[in-house]
Amino acid sequence: MEIVASITVGLLVAIGVWMLLDRSLVRVVLGIVVLGNGINLAVFSVGRLAGEAAAFVTAAGAPAAAANPLPQALVLTAIVIGFALFVFALAVLKRSWELHANIETDRITAVAEEPAPDLPPPDGSAAWRDRP
Amino acid sequence: MFASIGLIALAMLVAPAFAQRMSARAAWLLALAPLAAFTFFLSQLPEIAGGGVLTESFSWVPALGVALAFRLDGLSMLFALLITGIGALIVLYSGAYLHGHPHLGRFYAYLLGFMASMLGLVLADDLIAMFVFWELTSVSSFLLIAFEHDKAVSRRAALQALLITGGGGLALLAGLILVGVAGGSWQFSGLSAQALAAHAAYPAILALVLIGAFTKSAQLPFHLWLPNAMAAPTPVSAYLHSATMVKAGVYLLARLNPALGGSTSWSAILITVGAATALVGAVLAIRQTDLKRVLAYTTVTVLGQLTMLLGTNTHYGLQAFAIYLVAHAFYKAALFMAVGSVDHAAGTRQVTRLGGLWRYMPLTGFAVALAAFSNAGLPPFFGFIAKEFKYAGLIELGVAGWLTIGMMILSNALLLAAAGVVFVRTFLGREGNYPQRPNEVGLPMWLGPILLALGGLVFGAFNNLAEVWLIDAAVQAVSRTAVPVELYLWDGFTLALLASALTVALGVLFYLQRTRLRRRLSLWRALWRVSGDMIWDRLLKRVFVFAGRVADRFQHGSLRQHVSTLVLAITGFALIGLLASADQDLVWPQRTSPLNPAALIGCVVAVAGAAVAAVTPGRVALVATLGTSGLGIALFFLASRAPDVAITQLMVETLTVLFLALVLRRLPPARTVGSRKPAAKRFHALVALLIGVTVSAMMLITVSQPLPGDLARWYLDNSLPAGHGANVVNVILVDFRALDTLGEILVVALAGLAAARLLGSGKPGRAAAAGSPEFDSVLLRQGMGPLSALLALISLMLLWRGHNLPGGGFIGALVAACAAMLLALAFGVERARRVMRVPPAIVLAIGLATAAGAGVIGLLQGGDFLTGAWIAPGGLKLGTPLLFDLGVFLTVLGAVLHMLFRLMEREA
Repeated sequence: MEIVASITVGLLVAIGVWMLLDRSLVRVVLGIVVLGNGINLAVFSVGRLAGEAAAFVTAAGAPAAAANPLPQALVLTAIVIGFALFVFALAVLKRSWELHANIETDRITAVAEEPAPDLPPPDGSAAWRDRP
Repeated sequence: MFASIGLIALAMLVAPAFAQRMSARAAWLLALAPLAAFTFFLSQLPEIAGGGVLTESFSWVPALGVALAFRLDGLSMLFALLITGIGALIVLYSGAYLHGHPHLGRFYAYLLGFMASMLGLVLADDLIAMFVFWELTSVSSFLLIAFEHDKAVSRRAALQALLITGGGGLALLAGLILVGVAGGSWQFSGLSAQALAAHAAYPAILALVLIGAFTKSAQLPFHLWLPNAMAAPTPVSAYLHSATMVKAGVYLLARLNPALGGSTSWSAILITVGAATALVGAVLAIRQTDLKRVLAYTTVTVLGQLTMLLGTNTHYGLQAFAIYLVAHAFYKAALFMAVGSVDHAAGTRQVTRLGGLWRYMPLTGFAVALAAFSNAGLPPFFGFIAKEFKYAGLIELGVAGWLTIGMMILSNALLLAAAGVVFVRTFLGREGNYPQRPNEVGLPMWLGPILLALGGLVFGAFNNLAEVWLIDAAVQAVSRTAVPVELYLWDGFTLALLASALTVALGVLFYLQRTRLRRRLSLWRALWRVSGDMIWDRLLKRVFVFAGRVADRFQHGSLRQHVSTLVLAITGFALIGLLASADQDLVWPQRTSPLNPAALIGCVVAVAGAAVAAVTPGRVALVATLGTSGLGIALFFLASRAPDVAITQLMVETLTVLFLALVLRRLPPARTVGSRKPAAKRFHALVALLIGVTVSAMMLITVSQPLPGDLARWYLDNSLPAGHGANVVNVILVDFRALDTLGEILVVALAGLAAARLLGSGKPGRAAAAGSPEFDSVLLRQGMGPLSALLALISLMLLWRGHNLPGGGFIGALVAACAAMLLALAFGVERARRVMRVPPAIVLAIGLATAAGAGVIGLLQGGDFLTGAWIAPGGLKLGTPLLFDLGVFLTVLGAVLHMLFRLMEREA
């Protein structure tokens, strides 16, 4: 099963990165979700999938072939954090559309960028002197 | 010692409040802090003067051998008394000088902060601790120079000072680390001079340490920043840029003289640089007509002379060093303060507009007279003794001394002329053409100059006093061998006296001929045109332009290029790691678990959904396929015996789809897939494929090895006995690794607050403003009301039972959020908010407080933060982990709803 999981992780990561490289920010944001799912699966799977019972114990003790609980705990919080991150990215996407009416990755900076206040222009032509 | 630093730091913290509450009187109160420290150091004087030392040490970074070690010896004592004594007077002075300034409180804070750092610098015995204080003085100097930050001149001067001293600081850090390594100790007092001199890195140490010291003490060619720093208010110039901070460099040289000072290169560099600095400073001083700039350049001269004297390492030279240090601090601080008073009273500092001030400001004039005499080196002032010893020290050096003594005479003569300008030209003679009618300044402003100026006279006339209490111990601390110290005013007709007489004659000549001298100097136009400041400006511009070019290379603004570079780099590093582990025997077929059909289906669904989402243009299809992919993951988790994770994934997937749907319907569809250019598309596909294959390979190699350790077993075994819970995953979250969870819910909370702000930024939707729901359907309402109530109940049950059965704070919160979502969809956000009663942001805050508070209970019971504490009233087991889980529940619920409601209100 670990082999299948490993290949699945690879595929999800590849798809996620491909989506991150898309021209439209919408797909970039979705790519974050797919990539996140892949990574969660990876963390979960390296804890091994040999468990035959869920990680619940009784007064008699834990089942001999219980699933590894630690990656489960890690992934559980990671899913919630990933969700918060996703909503934040979504919020940025929405705001970018409202402000610039643009959701193309490479044009956002061109549309939104303002020159830094205290630096000389890149060509260095105008004199930079902070003196009265 | 540490207490004195702490006391001044405390005064810094309360200064702004004091200044606001009681205006002028605050200065008197705040001056008590340095005064108390001064008294403490005075009380230690008998011990230190007798050759003793006082030490204090606190552990700081024991793993690195860094300690907050303090050591009070003769040299430190000298500096500590100057810093605290002059400091108290300066605080008093500033209160009157900046009376009514809106940022006076801030000024006090900066000034006292500097004082604490400077005191730490001279008291620190640990190399690293000293460096930290060193940098703190640079920073506080920056803040003080830029105090009037609305002026471009101030900002420029502050930046220049920071860049030069900060840059030197970097060199110094490297130098100090080398010193520590080579000298066999991280304490100044433990350094071995033999080991350092024999070490191969000695030249590097010398270069680095000297760059640090020279930048701080404004030695040629780093002297630029000091005169410009006069843009700061006068008390700052008097205190930092003449009496104390600029002497930090000289202090360091003196401190390291016993350890590093044995070589000829040390002496040669110090004497050469010092002499050049002294001469350049003196020549530039004579050219100025602004009183403050005159004093600034003479300070450069003095720093050069002090460096030079250290370089001699002769008995007289070192005595002269200590004497001159004190003499200069006294008279220069007094002169600066007095010049500030003149500026304050007459409205100008231009020499050409001043004169005859004596009749208006007799007290200030008296102080200036005394200080100027000391400055000019006339008997019986302390400055005279300093001058005699300077000459004697250089004569003692032999032939090399004769070469430099000419420089010394010349620079001293120029100093004398400058002193004449400051006193005679300003206070005597014809009445000047003042912008305003001058009046004598108040007590806080004349007290400091008079006390300090009188100090110069007293120490000169009763030089035995200074010798016994101050100079002797200081000289012994600086010197490599014991030096017999004996101060005197009169030692018969010696060569030094001859040099002295020559100086006075030359100085008087310079003073009388100063206009002609200035004109002569101005003739060398070419020389002044190549001023250091101009070079500095050009250099800085070049740096900015260069940095801009470099940054443009990387900050090109293309997200896709960033991502592909990043991904390729990660792939590259991962492949290196893979190759390194290629020799491991890959035995995974034996070690993997058997195929699980349900999990396999989950995998296929997850990949298929994602693949379709990657290429589909329609928005509905995007949302649907992405949701499907997530469900596949959930199925995989469920089939892999992770019910908690599976439920979480399921709930998150539901909310994800909802958020996506709410936002995406406002955006245009992503019609094209990938890049427009086929070449770019192929490249991106290659990048994605590479990272996918690499990650798969990494995973395969990882699972081919046995799982190291038996952490899983430990958690399984201890969950019930130690954590009182049967659900091991939940016990890990809320008990064993609760601190992680606390950090994680904090992240969720912050992301929620930030996203809500962005999501709620648009115009309010019409429908939402009217309070009407998303889907206005009676049928929906009939079903949704009871359903959401039921869900809310289930969520509470999940929370409660989570410690023993699938559930817990995270899952409960997500289910509760879904309940609220249904309510909002059917009845409108307004109604959902009313049902909730408490705003989601408050719920979030209460949640965080509950989770953190649950941790404090364990702390109060004597355990670590977040240690579980349990009680069992009536057989019902209650513990802080349950309270913590409640905090998790509230935080996550608050964060999700905060975002959701904001979005739905604006987007309807």
